[in-house]
Amino acid sequence: MNLEALLNALPGAVAQGLIWGIMSIGVYITYKVLDLADLTVDGSMATGGAVCVMLMLNGCNVWLALLCAIIAGMLAGLITGIFHTKFGIPPILAGILTQLSLYSLNLAIMDFKANQGINVTKYQLIVSQRNVRTFDLSNPIVITLVILAVLIGILYWFFGTETGCSLRATGANEAMSRAQGINTRKTKILGLMISNGIVALSSAMLAHYQGFVDVNMGRGAIVIGLAAVIISEVLFGKLFRNFALKLLAVAIGAVLYFIVIQIVLWLGLNTNLLKLLSALIVAVFLGIPFWKANFSAKHSHKGGQSNA
Amino acid sequence: MKKALSVLVSLILILCLCGFASAEGTPYRIGICQLVQHVALDAATQGFQAALKEKLGDGVVFDLQNASGDTNTCSTIMNGFVSNNVNLIMANATPALQAAVASTGDIPILGTSVTDYATALDISDWTGATGINVSGTSDLAPLDQQAAMLHELFPEARKVGLLYCSAEPNSKYQVDVIKGYLADLGCECTEFTFADSNDVASVAQNACDGSEVIYIPTDNTAASCTEAIRNVVEPAKVPVIAGEEGLCKGCGVATLSISYYDLGYATGAMAYEILAGGADIASMEIRFAPNVTKEYNKEMCDLLGITIPEDYTAIE
Repeated sequence: MNLEALLNALPGAVAQGLIWGIMSIGVYITYKVLDLADLTVDGSMATGGAVCVMLMLNGCNVWLALLCAIIAGMLAGLITGIFHTKFGIPPILAGILTQLSLYSLNLAIMDFKANQGINVTKYQLIVSQRNVRTFDLSNPIVITLVILAVLIGILYWFFGTETGCSLRATGANEAMSRAQGINTRKTKILGLMISNGIVALSSAMLAHYQGFVDVNMGRGAIVIGLAAVIISEVLFGKLFRNFALKLLAVAIGAVLYFIVIQIVLWLGLNTNLLKLLSALIVAVFLGIPFWKANFSAKHSHKGGQSNA
Repeated sequence: MKKALSVLVSLILILCLCGFASAEGTPYRIGICQLVQHVALDAATQGFQAALKEKLGDGVVFDLQNASGDTNTCSTIMNGFVSNNVNLIMANATPALQAAVASTGDIPILGTSVTDYATALDISDWTGATGINVSGTSDLAPLDQQAAMLHELFPEARKVGLLYCSAEPNSKYQVDVIKGYLADLGCECTEFTFADSNDVASVAQNACDGSEVIYIPTDNTAASCTEAIRNVVEPAKVPVIAGEEGLCKGCGVATLSISYYDLGYATGAMAYEILAGGADIASMEIRFAPNVTKEYNKEMCDLLGITIPEDYTAIE
């Protein structure tokens, strides 16, 4: 066990974390802004990669393929939105249904093959794990940071517009929003579409990064996304008030998650126990705000007595 | 200031010690990434380690990591291997191999339990070797012989059901290939795919209704729920020809089996040629299982009243 190996491994963890950070921003939009737990992401986390890789294998331009991946993700969000608002299915269940159907759809997109490789030497991939230790513009960390900055910029602008504000209002207080004349069904569908579009973008980049797309790629994605959102909230909740900074914090949360995993692997944890560890990380970070609240409640109670 | 200095000096000394420690003897460091906990894959990993231990003794150390079926973890594990600058990477199963190839273009990568390298690595002009830092062994059982075996045991059968999991690329590949061989022998093939172990029973029932014999390729998901399949095929009296021994033991009547341990062992021999013999991995051809054996499941054969030719051995 040497420290040099860990330091060497960090760029990879950061790159992987940043790509998942984009995905986590998608989760943030449904979970925090819209106050919906959307499980569609476990499916759309493979859809984006599938669409992007299959288009590229058929000679499509890389940026066009990325755009198509985003659109495919938005369609997945639209389906969940319709299930929720038009069929009256609770959001968690609606997401699970879409996720389930996406398994078949993803297989169909990938020509009924469960796994499709894409060769880094043959195609112009936007990010590749191979370049993670190079010092030029092909480094995935640089490229992902640029894409992340553009994405945060667009989202910051959007959530300042009238539509964006009505979306935020829907999440904050749905009944009040309706009273104000906001069509909350529309805003919910829109939020789900944006969220899954972002997840699909991340999925396409992840497929590039790891050199293949697999139908099981999105399994457990929601846990990583939620972990990133919650880690960012616990660590940066007091620090970052600005919306753009909050989104940035989510990406940092994802990076921290992958750094923790890398450190744990470096420490020699039996990898068979990795899933248990992931669940524990999320549980602890979910617990911290609750413990804090409990602690301060007790504390203020005592304080009150002494004042009386 | 003094304290800081002494800390610095001791740190340097420790680093020096580490440096000396690793310089002494310098065993080969090999990173092994296995996709999932699974009997066949475990056997391949054990065979690989056994081959190298036999040849190099203490001259080799293994960093064995299991991704627990999570393809994203494969990338994380590979990142660790590359940053550790291991001498060689052994990738057990397709997604592990793909993650390895995405993470390094220099460190030699040997794959095992991978069925078709050309498909996995997206190489169109296949010549038998990859031409890059990748080689390894394929777990492709001789499918023509498997088709012949099915025909030998059930010469009257015309309707063959192909049962496999839609999430496994290797199964799809084998089914596509064996379909051609079976068609040549006059069989009509129908594919029955299940998504996971939850719907395997109902799909297997469907397959039983539509076929006289069922063929299951080396499918990991099917291998993990053989009991569920057996509960369906046994009452329906439909015999199953399996792609590997584990499946046959659970729910099949006969198989033409390759040994994953031997396969891993052959991969270990390749690693030795590369590390100690200086072989060029780019021109090393993909190798196949050294020997195959005709095996049958006595219990199932008795239950279904099937007589097996002399040259088959019973699975214990």
